[in-house]
Amino acid sequence: MNRYDCLEFLVPSMTDQLVVGSLSGQRVEWGHMSRHPGNLLVASMGAALGMGIGLALVLPHRKVIVLESDGSLLLSLYNLPTLGNLNPSNLAVFVFDNEVYSGTRISEPSATAGKTDLAGVARSCGVERATTVRDLESYKQEATKALTENVLRFIVCKVEKTTGHRQIQRPTEDLWEHKYRFVRYLETTESKQIFLGRG
Amino acid sequence: MALTYRQEIKCKMETELVKRIVGGLKEAGISFVSYLPETRLSEIVPVLREDPSFMIVPVANEAEAVSISAGASLGGRPAAVYMEGSGVYVGSFNLLCLGRRLGVPMLLIVAYYGSVLDTRNSFLYAMPGIHLLPVLKSLDIQHVIFENGDSLETKIKGAVKMMHAIKQPVALLFTGEFTI
Repeated sequence: MNRYDCLEFLVPSMTDQLVVGSLSGQRVEWGHMSRHPGNLLVASMGAALGMGIGLALVLPHRKVIVLESDGSLLLSLYNLPTLGNLNPSNLAVFVFDNEVYSGTRISEPSATAGKTDLAGVARSCGVERATTVRDLESYKQEATKALTENVLRFIVCKVEKTTGHRQIQRPTEDLWEHKYRFVRYLETTESKQIFLGRG
Repeated sequence: MALTYRQEIKCKMETELVKRIVGGLKEAGISFVSYLPETRLSEIVPVLREDPSFMIVPVANEAEAVSISAGASLGGRPAAVYMEGSGVYVGSFNLLCLGRRLGVPMLLIVAYYGSVLDTRNSFLYAMPGIHLLPVLKSLDIQHVIFENGDSLETKIKGAVKMMHAIKQPVALLFTGEFTI
């Protein structure tokens, strides 16, 4: 199963969801294929799931989608007990697990290439609907449920190791510009001021 | 009659100060607090919990608290993180990447343990206390030190104004009378 194909499946479904992404190749791929104004690609390892939890808690009427990687989640496993206990029903978490530290370019195996089962860890932390998918058809079924049902879902997607994202042109929009676009989109769609202060 | 642990150790700052901290946060517009409680300021947690204007979230790790409050902040609820001084060390990568680099306003409510005015200072606390201000300085995080209740509400309001103005974290460091 290819990560690009998985992400591409989500794109036509984007309407008013908020999408938080971490740092791996999926940031480059998602940013390339989706210009959704609800994208918040934080470009930091170990932070996307936490930010998604925060967004989901304060905007319970909005679907929040988190795009994580195995490396980023392994860096922030402390999020899982909090996620299990809070159980935000409007949150869908996709973990693209290629079982390698691909950022090293020599692709050292990560813990998930060994005995670590991230969906099992999530379940033991109280995330009831945590599952692992290994083929595109299963992925599409789980992703559809995650996008349409109002229940917390945590999907570990076992994907091939790929360097396809390195062929994609990187965005010129910097993080502050990206953040302002996201916040202005939320201000418009939520009809409230988010950045406070007076000029 | 057996005493509770909390009664036995008589660890609490003045109830009036507790109420003033929470009241000051509310008056300044803070409405979301993630927290990893510790000894010195933890009396604020039940007061925060009783006030429905606050959404409060317990966490396992201060780095997590920073990321959750960052999400809440960008989602439209002015947010704070309550933690011990050690939490600044634990959360420093997220403070750098989310607070400074992405530019997310959030208030850090920090029990400034190990400072000269920490009434419980000891060999356990002094070293992390000594290095706390240099760490904040290296992250370029503005801070206000509270030794007592003088101008408490004014300082909190000013710190919150600052965090909105610069869209960065700003820290409140509580020591002295807040560490009894």
